[in-house]
Parts: sequence; structure tokens; C-alpha cells
Amino acid sequence: MNTRDLVLIALFAAIVVVLGLIPPITLGFIPVPITAQSMGVMLAGCIIGAKRGALAFLLFVLLVAIGLPVLSGGRGGLAVLAGPSGGFILGWAVAAYVTGIIAERFIHEGQSESRQFGGFFLASVVGGIVVLYGIGVPWLSAVTGTPLLAAATGSLAFIPGDLLKAAIATLAARAVYAGYPLLPVRA
Amino acid sequence: MLTSLYVEGRSWFHRLPVRAKLVALLLLSLSLFATQSLYLLAPAFLLSGWLYFSLGLTLRQALARVGFVFFTILVLAAVNLFLLPLPEVAALVLRLMALVFFAAAVTATTTISAFMDEITILLKPLERIGLLNAADVSLAIGLVLRFVPDIFARYEAIREAHRARGLPIRPLTIIGPLIILTLKDADTIAAAIDARGFRRQ
Repeated sequence: MNTRDLVLIALFAAIVVVLGLIPPITLGFIPVPITAQSMGVMLAGCIIGAKRGALAFLLFVLLVAIGLPVLSGGRGGLAVLAGPSGGFILGWAVAAYVTGIIAERFIHEGQSESRQFGGFFLASVVGGIVVLYGIGVPWLSAVTGTPLLAAATGSLAFIPGDLLKAAIATLAARAVYAGYPLLPVRA
Repeated sequence: MLTSLYVEGRSWFHRLPVRAKLVALLLLSLSLFATQSLYLLAPAFLLSGWLYFSLGLTLRQALARVGFVFFTILVLAAVNLFLLPLPEVAALVLRLMALVFFAAAVTATTTISAFMDEITILLKPLERIGLLNAADVSLAIGLVLRFVPDIFARYEAIREAHRARGLPIRPLTIIGPLIILTLKDADTIAAAIDARGFRRQ
């Protein structure tokens, strides 16, 4: 890993911290507030790629674990990891990795704009929603004893908000790709 | 901006080495998940709660730190009441809350530098097989802490620019420029690090 990769990883982790400081927005039609931070996983994979995105989130989780209040709302510390949603936090790195793999596969220079939008959206949905819930929900079910089916049904409430986040992440990732491409090219 | 969750204090738990606390947390979680008995879980809950509240935090601070996690636990417990027998739900709630109290106590009594020393030791085997460089991890953490205030200032500047032009403030129109402007700094910072020979490559 060269120094530039190291710096990109650290800067992206810092961006995720800042996204947590932005006040959440509540939309009228969905009950869940949109925090910019939870888009970080999708953004990391789509913008700096699989390996660097995953490392940025490993670094971020490390900051949580050593007691820095870097999660949105000033939360942090081992207590959050020990709680029911610990699986989601630990799943972030994997989710960012999968997002990055898909983005690296599907997005190339010279594609039509709409194909790039499609690729980023697919990467965000599969990595940031499917993979993340695939880790977080069974974890939550195991820790809290809530039957898996009930936990999964309950999580459906968050899906509309997450799709909206995937759409915002897609637009932002494509804007960054057009302005300052960093996504590694996959042979 | 990023003040650690560490709380100044001189309790016996503060003086315990980090490794002992982390091992205790691990053992506690393994043993609490191994039992269903309320006769074991209830004392564990009371003891770790007592430990946490005896660390010198004011009641309000103490509750603010664990409040959100407890809220989630209670919401899930309310769902569980419809699906599981009552003693089982009680066991689940006591176990999780005991763990959260203990974990919060570890966080509140351990400084960042103590954690970092421990992490450096844990990373040694990975370093030996050439997977990563332990010094890089501390460098990366330092970079994050150094740049969060700068990036936040940049966010504020972009927001002010929106306001000055009468544009609505939407995450979408802010995140793009924020990321591009920040990541564009990477080359300069990387060059500065290499010029000072921090990574000896």
C-alpha cells in the first residue's frame, strides 16, 4: 500500500465522521431520519473502491472501539458494539468491500452516463443494503433472541430510506467519478 | 471536536490494565451468552451497572452514553414479548444491558493512547507476516483526528456558499463537492508524509 492509499483511506474515514456531524433530515413520507453517515458505506465502495473502502471502514470501526464519539449523534465506544446493532457496524467493512467490487467491475470510462448510474446504484444496493442486512439482521437476531423472521420483517421498515440513500450515493458517486475519478480499474 | 469518551478518574477500574479489561469483557460476554439463568444474569446486570455508575460520570452523562443502545434493546424486547415467554425476554434484556454497561465502563476508563498501545501489540503478528505496518495504523488514526475539523469547516463553507446563492441545502449537492475537495488533498498530504520520511519506504 502506498502513502497515497493510506491517506485516501484516512481522509475517507474522516469524511464519514463529518457526515455523522451533519444534522439528520426527516422526510415526511418515511418515518426514519436520513443520516448522511449511513450512506458512507455505499460512498466508500463506489468512490475509492473495494480494498480502500473496506480499510476506511475498518479504521472507522477502530475509532468507535477505542472510544471516540464518531458515530452520528455523538455515539461511540465498546457499548455500541456490544449492543444489538453491533453486527451492522462490524458489517460495514464487508459491505463497503462488496460495493467496491461491484463498482469496479461495472463502471468504466467511456460508458454512457446512464450505465454508470446503473452500475453505482446496483453496487450501492447489493453492498450497502443486501450484504449489510445479511450480516446485521442475523447478528441482531442471535444477540437479542428475536426470531430471524421477525427481525427481518422489522428491518423492512428501513428499506425505503436505504433505497433513497442508495439513490443519493449513486448521484454523488457519479459526480465524483466525473470530476475526480479514484475508482481502481479492475482487469 | 472529537473529545474522547474517556472519563478522568482514579477508581480501581481505571487502574486496571487495558488488556485485563478487554479480556474480562470477552469472558463476560461468552459466559453471559452461555447461561439462561436469571439468578446469574440479574446479579451480573446489577454488578456491571454499579461498576459503570461508580466511575465518576454524572447520572445524566452516564445515561446519555448508553441511552440509545438501551432504547434499541427495549424496543426489541417489546417485540420479543409477543413471540417469546417472559422469563426468556427478561434474560435477554438483562444479559445485553449487563454487557453494554460493562463495555461502556471499559470505554470510560481507558484512554485512547492505552487502547492504541494494545492495538499495536495485537497487530504485531500481522506485521510479522508482512500484511500491514502497525505504525501505519496509528498514522491513519492521527490523520483522521487531524482532518475531521478541517473537513467539517469545509462542509460549513459549502453550506454557506449554498445559502449565499439562495440554494436549498441538500445532502446531495453538498456531499459531492465535499468529497472531491477533500480527496484532492490526498496527494499533497501523501507527498508531505513521504518528504518527511515517516513511513521509511
